Amino acid sequence: MVARQTDMENVTADAFSRGLAMWEIASVVTSCLIAEWVVLSFAGRSKLITAIPIGLALGLMFYSHRHRRESLREIGFRTDNFFAACRLLLLPTAVALLVIIVTGWLLNHTLLTGGFRSRFLWLPLWALLQQYALNGFINRRAQHALGKGIKSVILVALVFGLLHLPNPLLAIVTLIGGIVWAAAYQRQPNLFALSLSHAAVSLALAMTISPSLLNSLRVGFKYFG
Amino acid sequence: MKKPSTSLVHILIGKSILETLLVGTLAVFTYITILPPYFHGWGEITETGVSGWAVNHAEPWARVEIQLFIDGRFIAQSVANKSRPDVLAAGWSKDEWHGYVIPISSLAQGTHEARVYALHHSGEGARKSLQLLGSPIPFSIDANGKPVGAGH
Repeated sequence: MVARQTDMENVTADAFSRGLAMWEIASVVTSCLIAEWVVLSFAGRSKLITAIPIGLALGLMFYSHRHRRESLREIGFRTDNFFAACRLLLLPTAVALLVIIVTGWLLNHTLLTGGFRSRFLWLPLWALLQQYALNGFINRRAQHALGKGIKSVILVALVFGLLHLPNPLLAIVTLIGGIVWAAAYQRQPNLFALSLSHAAVSLALAMTISPSLLNSLRVGFKYFG
Repeated sequence: MKKPSTSLVHILIGKSILETLLVGTLAVFTYITILPPYFHGWGEITETGVSGWAVNHAEPWARVEIQLFIDGRFIAQSVANKSRPDVLAAGWSKDEWHGYVIPISSLAQGTHEARVYALHHSGEGARKSLQLLGSPIPFSIDANGKPVGAGH
């Protein structure tokens, strides 16, 4: 009788924990959508106001990691599996780069249409931040709620695609990238390798595909501006 | 991974409340910035067109830009800078130069509706908004092609 009650309590606690993980994902996605759509449309490009939802999302993620006692190593800030993760990402990244470069060539008959800008130097850091949020947090919570495998990978990819709307081409590219990166993270959780792959693909997109086609990688309300 | 407790739920609820407040504050701020409640005015039909006055109480010495729409279509833009001593006497403005007259021509015979809006610039000129001055003005065009107010 006592054992059965304990089993029931465990099942309830598991369901609660999984539901909470989904809520955490929804909360972080909401913050990003507020920053992309509400702040930009209401407050213009005020970095200070944009920092509020982003800060709240980061605060929640840090608190959640601490609360669930996740170490930096578990999250993916580690070097021991860096080369293993790079090996995993090498082929899909190379294929993506080839497709992007060939597409750019076919569309514009030149290799470099976007040109190099100084802000591209921030790409690795920006990619690391995005990969941390996408895989270090959302993927981990998705795995907790839905288990390791296709369901959680698809959820992560859908979230990544959603956050790049209404830019149609970028949403498709990030949906595909999201699948690859989420699957790679579940096998080798290394955020440095993921951010290198992410930065390489972003740089190739920005430099070889015409800015008018990708609308200069703009997303959210900024897409229309 | 440790099983979460209710404190994480509290954090999530708190975050949702803060974000709701942020969105609400931004919405109210934007509404007041784009459509400030400072514009007052009035318009009526005269023999030649629409005439009236417009004042911006936030900048009482400034001349208000106005736009006339008839049946929902843009007709003309003007500036309310003509003499209206009656507006000054009634205490609506600080000086008498807030009147406007916009002639109406080439309208089909029958009933129409005119709306006069104050044109407001915000966001360092990036945004423009229109605020209705007074009420919509119903009128008709008679057989001679002259506008006649609904009350006439």
